[in-house]
Amino acid sequence: MVSQRDREILRGDLRGRGTKLSVAEREALLQSYLPDPAELGQKPTSQPTVSERKTPRKTPIRTFLKSQTHYLTYALTHIIFGIIVRLLQAYHAVVDRIFAIVYHHHRTPELIRKDVKNLKRLPQHLSTILTLRKEDDSLAVLMDEVAELAAWSSCSGIPQLSIYEKSGVLKSCIPALHQIITTKLASYYGTPSHQPNLQLYAPHHPVHRSAPITTNSTLTILLLSSTDGRETLVDLTKTLAEMSQNGKLSPEDITPELVDAEISEITTQPLSMDPTLPDTVLKPEPDLLLVFGPFLKLDGYPPWQLRLTEMYCTGGRSHGISGDGEAVEYQGYMRGLWHFAGAQMRFGR
Amino acid sequence: MSGSMHLSRLRNWFFASPPAEYAITSLKELLIGAIQQGPVPQHVAFVMDGNRRFARSHGIETVEGHNLGFEALARILEVCYKSGVKVVTIYAFSIENFKRSKFEVDALMEMAKVKLSQMAQHGDLLDRYGAKVRVLGRLDMLKPDVLEAVNKAVDMTSRNGDRVLNICFPYTSRDEITSAIRETVEDYSTPLEQGRSASRTPFSESHIAHNIRTQTLGLTTHDSHSDSESTSGSSGQDDDASPRHDSNRIYGSMSSCSSSTTLHLGNQQDPKGVSPPRSLAGSDSPVYISPETISRQTLNDHMLTKGTPPLDILIRTSGVERLSDFMLWQTHENTEIVFLNVMWPEFDLWHFLPVMLGWQRRISKSRQDPNAEGNFAGDAKSSEESPDALLWRQGGKVKDI
Repeated sequence: MVSQRDREILRGDLRGRGTKLSVAEREALLQSYLPDPAELGQKPTSQPTVSERKTPRKTPIRTFLKSQTHYLTYALTHIIFGIIVRLLQAYHAVVDRIFAIVYHHHRTPELIRKDVKNLKRLPQHLSTILTLRKEDDSLAVLMDEVAELAAWSSCSGIPQLSIYEKSGVLKSCIPALHQIITTKLASYYGTPSHQPNLQLYAPHHPVHRSAPITTNSTLTILLLSSTDGRETLVDLTKTLAEMSQNGKLSPEDITPELVDAEISEITTQPLSMDPTLPDTVLKPEPDLLLVFGPFLKLDGYPPWQLRLTEMYCTGGRSHGISGDGEAVEYQGYMRGLWHFAGAQMRFGR
Repeated sequence: MSGSMHLSRLRNWFFASPPAEYAITSLKELLIGAIQQGPVPQHVAFVMDGNRRFARSHGIETVEGHNLGFEALARILEVCYKSGVKVVTIYAFSIENFKRSKFEVDALMEMAKVKLSQMAQHGDLLDRYGAKVRVLGRLDMLKPDVLEAVNKAVDMTSRNGDRVLNICFPYTSRDEITSAIRETVEDYSTPLEQGRSASRTPFSESHIAHNIRTQTLGLTTHDSHSDSESTSGSSGQDDDASPRHDSNRIYGSMSSCSSSTTLHLGNQQDPKGVSPPRSLAGSDSPVYISPETISRQTLNDHMLTKGTPPLDILIRTSGVERLSDFMLWQTHENTEIVFLNVMWPEFDLWHFLPVMLGWQRRISKSRQDPNAEGNFAGDAKSSEESPDALLWRQGGKVKDI
């Protein structure tokens, strides 16, 4: 809102390292852009200034009209914005359906492999945020979604998958989930000899493996919940404070490297029940975070690991709120992978 | 080619003409006024990304790109504060950025110094209108002259109104979290001073014990006294019951008091830790606050953003879709993260408006129907988030009235 002429003057001043203009000149330049102190006092959010108290409001009608105009504009903007959002939603819904038809996996690993064949890069560690719905069979639906995601990742060659679900309900049924995923993989791969080895675990839980270790590739799945977020950092602080109180550690020893090592260890090294088996090393920081929801919100996802993670929200292209959580669909998953590789999805494979 | 250049020059001339400029300014004012009518986010963060890429694509020097970025910042700050945002946090310089070319780092530092010292020069103006400036980050990594400018600007503006501008200067979020942990550990590993803590304990056990003893003693004398006076046996029973009740009440009040002190985790000492028997025993081992009292709020209070409302919106420009070590702790709960595909120097109200409208729409929807999924503000904040946030919101309301 600065006029062109004044902007040029200020830019010239900046190029001269702030030496061209004197303090008074600069203030004079700014004066016309600053709000009137009296007007500032009338705004509801700012504190009443002394000058405002001295001089009572002189223009009640003008102020009233102004606020009415603003309210009208607010209503109008939101109506127009709402219409645009609805239109965009409709458009994206149609596009999504077309993608869903064109890009369908048909439970065939070959087709999925073909879809990712031309991508320049693939995430080594994919992470997703899923939401538990409110219906009766929500847990079954959620577990099925996890199984589908596991199958897709395995088929597209992503070896590590982590699933975040806020309440942590998945952690309480690891064996059942393992069974469901194995069944799902069987429906994709057919004979067990082609299936990848499956490892499923959660922090502070023993790792759950598929029984016969074959030479096939391994799929590692990590289950996370909101307790692995801030709560873990709090627990770490408690332990460190206790150590420091007992004189085992000085506060200067706490470095980002130490915290990183401790935090990473929780998610990367499962409690192995059988020491003869090789420990899988999970990459602590996910490369890509897929959010299945209407907009990008982390919802308590462990903060430390997210430093360089790319984020993609399947519903992120429209600003709308579609009542329930976004469904986990193959085309949404694929779109995330394509986006990560910097590619555009097109109609037709 | 030349045609398009003429066209752009014509467009620039048109937009620079006084009537067009006036119309755009009024339109912007109107829109900002309109935004104010709805719910407004309290805390917005920006990652000002894309200055260098903008400079490269427009064939100007990198430093020039950063200058244009600063103008964009001034523009957007005006929009934010006018529409009622309380706190704006910007990512100005990452610790990682020290790895860039020396020329660029020096130029950025120079720019920061010039801008900050200019800010300090206009002290009285800032007092009247301005926001509080706070610089978050590893100030010890700065050169002395820059540090001096930083301190001066922070000091000058520290008494200003309720708007806050957080500049994350040499900052990474991991560093912030680590510092918060370190400070908490330091807090918890300083032994409590015996004398002071004893005097600050609201009740001392020995005193209470003494009181009870005198009361029971008084009771026996009083008892015999009343017995001799009263004729009915029931009044004696009553007297017998009441002192027991009294002592119960004393214990009750003490326990309620102690539980209230444990609630103030960071600041108060745990009464268990300073119980007189231990100090009376004369054990040399220092007394600490129990580490079990550390909570998320404790860490929150040690973050650099302490005292600010929770982050509502985080905007990153230039189409890069990661946080790059910015506000990890703050964003991971209820913040809406938006990645925009514009370079920062081009960023303006027109890009900010859809984000704001989307946020307002979602908030008002979730307020109307708190059970809807995708609801993330309103009740969620008041129920589970810090009392800090509540205070802020209440404060805002009080001022509104």
